[in-house]
Amino acid sequence: MRKNWKTGTAFMMTLLLVTACGNSGNTPASEQTNTSPGKEKEVVSQEPVKLKLLTISSDQARQTIMKDYIKANLANELPGFEIEYEETSDVGAKMKVYNASGELPDVFWSGADYATAIINAGNQLNLEQSITDNGFINKFAVKEALKYKDGIYALSSGADAYFTPKIFYHKDIFQANNIEIPTTYDELVQASEKLLAAGIQPISAPGKGGWAPAFFMIQNMIQIEDPAVAQQLTENKIDFTHPVVKNGLDRVVRLAEMGAFGQGAANVDYGPAKEAFTQNKAAMYMMFSWELADLEANVPDIGFFDWPSAGEKYTPGSAIQFWGSPLAGYAVSAKSKNVEAAVKLAQYLAEQDAKYFTDTGSLVTLDVGAASTPAPLMQANIDAYNQANIKIPSLTVMMDPKTSTEYSNFGSLLMTGDYTSDDFINDFNDLWLANTYFE
Amino acid sequence: MTRFFSTNTSIFIFAFPALFIFTAFVVYPLFPELVISFQKHNGFSSQGFVGFENYNEIFSSKSFWKANTNTFIIVLLSTAVGLPISLLLAFLLDSQTNGTRRYFKAAGMLPAILSVTVIAQMWMAIYEPQWGLLNSLLRAIGLESLTQQWLTDRGIVIFSVAVAFLWQYIGLNTLLFYTGLKSIPKTYYEAALMDGAGPVKSALMITIPLLQEVIKFVLVISILGSMGMFAHVEVMTGGGPGYFSRTIVYELYYKAFMSSEFGVGSAVAVIYVLQCILITLVLNRFVAREKIEF
Repeated sequence: MRKNWKTGTAFMMTLLLVTACGNSGNTPASEQTNTSPGKEKEVVSQEPVKLKLLTISSDQARQTIMKDYIKANLANELPGFEIEYEETSDVGAKMKVYNASGELPDVFWSGADYATAIINAGNQLNLEQSITDNGFINKFAVKEALKYKDGIYALSSGADAYFTPKIFYHKDIFQANNIEIPTTYDELVQASEKLLAAGIQPISAPGKGGWAPAFFMIQNMIQIEDPAVAQQLTENKIDFTHPVVKNGLDRVVRLAEMGAFGQGAANVDYGPAKEAFTQNKAAMYMMFSWELADLEANVPDIGFFDWPSAGEKYTPGSAIQFWGSPLAGYAVSAKSKNVEAAVKLAQYLAEQDAKYFTDTGSLVTLDVGAASTPAPLMQANIDAYNQANIKIPSLTVMMDPKTSTEYSNFGSLLMTGDYTSDDFINDFNDLWLANTYFE
Repeated sequence: MTRFFSTNTSIFIFAFPALFIFTAFVVYPLFPELVISFQKHNGFSSQGFVGFENYNEIFSSKSFWKANTNTFIIVLLSTAVGLPISLLLAFLLDSQTNGTRRYFKAAGMLPAILSVTVIAQMWMAIYEPQWGLLNSLLRAIGLESLTQQWLTDRGIVIFSVAVAFLWQYIGLNTLLFYTGLKSIPKTYYEAALMDGAGPVKSALMITIPLLQEVIKFVLVISILGSMGMFAHVEVMTGGGPGYFSRTIVYELYYKAFMSSEFGVGSAVAVIYVLQCILITLVLNRFVAREKIEF
């Protein structure tokens, strides 16, 4: 009797443990019922299409797109679709976890820093055939921009291609301190000195994790002397020992050493860097133009100017860096149980992105109907983009994950002011030479 | 029924769920981790067996040795500075009135139960070079020369992060020591007093020997907790500037999840586990070997 009781207790405890882990509480679609007061339960015959979406929520724009566009329009534009949403700022890390468990989301945000690994593992669907067959590809103004090697692996609004790094500034602060818009790098340094003397932080830029140096600052400091050198770097034709590249690194170091980025710049995150500018603590803000719509709406004295020149081969505005990669956008899992529906969802998501950027006056390559009239500063941005003779892709998307991470890592040290260009070249150049992105 | 609850079988039954979870989520993953440490792996798929290449890469990496040094610094600060301070505070707490003692017991526990993100953000605000509390205080008392860039100066960043970490747990350690102090019978101190022993001699000859089990416990959790420090680094500095504030666990995370080098990250993890096992063996061997009973 006592033996049976002990055995029974052990069995009950194991059973409790297993059922606690196993029960998800979800009712399968086939067993869903509708119940109205006074009516008998009726079984719903039509099963909704259930898909899992993992997407990015890195900034205000992304959160607005999710809330006001994707979720708001889903029922009208994709009736019968039931989406399990998951949002994160680090999609790459999440994808590794999902990949390890074998349960990839049906649709996910693809990033240039991790997409190649997913593609090489055969887990990211080549969408070219699907979107050609259903005609979606014809909505893109620049189809070539979608191609990565042998196919199309991500769908995006194309807004990325129009995002360029800018130097935003407070017109009031410049006016109050008798500062003219700098057209050369030396003038930028002089303006920074003047602002420092007035007790104002000259430039705000996110230095934490080397964000600003890696994403645009190093590249633009190279471009302003010789855009062709920056182009060669993005084509893997030169390395960081090139003298023009070294000069570009020196320009970042010089600004950091003089305190132009403010104290502790190497640890300033994206949000605080923007706040320092919007709260008038910093006179200038180096950032991509994806912030332009928000800044124009909320900063009354906002303006921007082209990157100032540091050599004869560049005049302000003649060459620009653009963001974007054919691997950035909404991708479909090759292991999805409902590939056709997942492709429809990815197309829908890209269109919602395009609608948001169109509504805020940005240019997109995905046609979603009539565009709104851009606000004045946005129009000035579009004009500047169109006037640039040379458009250079972003260097940081031309790197494999290891190289890209170390580029950011050593870039953050440049913002400290006690790390030289020679230190950077010694630490990073071998890693650049081992970059596998171009293989 | 009472006899059943004192048998080994009943102990096993009640410990089984926790043992099962521990084995499934802590012990079992060590084996695939060991296998992956000998592979080139990007987190999505293995690119093949590479032998000891990952270990060679780690041992020749400046960031790994910096992370190890930083972890050693934090462990040293935690044990050589944090523990004596906690013990002193426990003595102080013991000498207070009931009301004061109750207040400081609650106040001491509060940082330990707050989220690491909250603590880290608070210390980031304290360390902010322009308007943060620390530099502002130094300027206010005429010590502007001592102001620093606490989280971006490569030489001091790890100490800045370590202070935030220690501050969060010093109260908890104090309470653990205080609990140990309360378990020592007062008669020993009365006898020592009659023999003419002062407070210092009493502490050295009575309190510390009788507290050795508690000291060992606090030492182990402090060392292993310090070894595993990650969240403070991630929130406060992201391992930066560069790699100068990384700890060994952060290095593991960086290699695996940021660099997509799961093989290298797993190798760091294997080394970390070996270090923890070694430390635990050393502690068991040399600390509180003989239990003193009273």
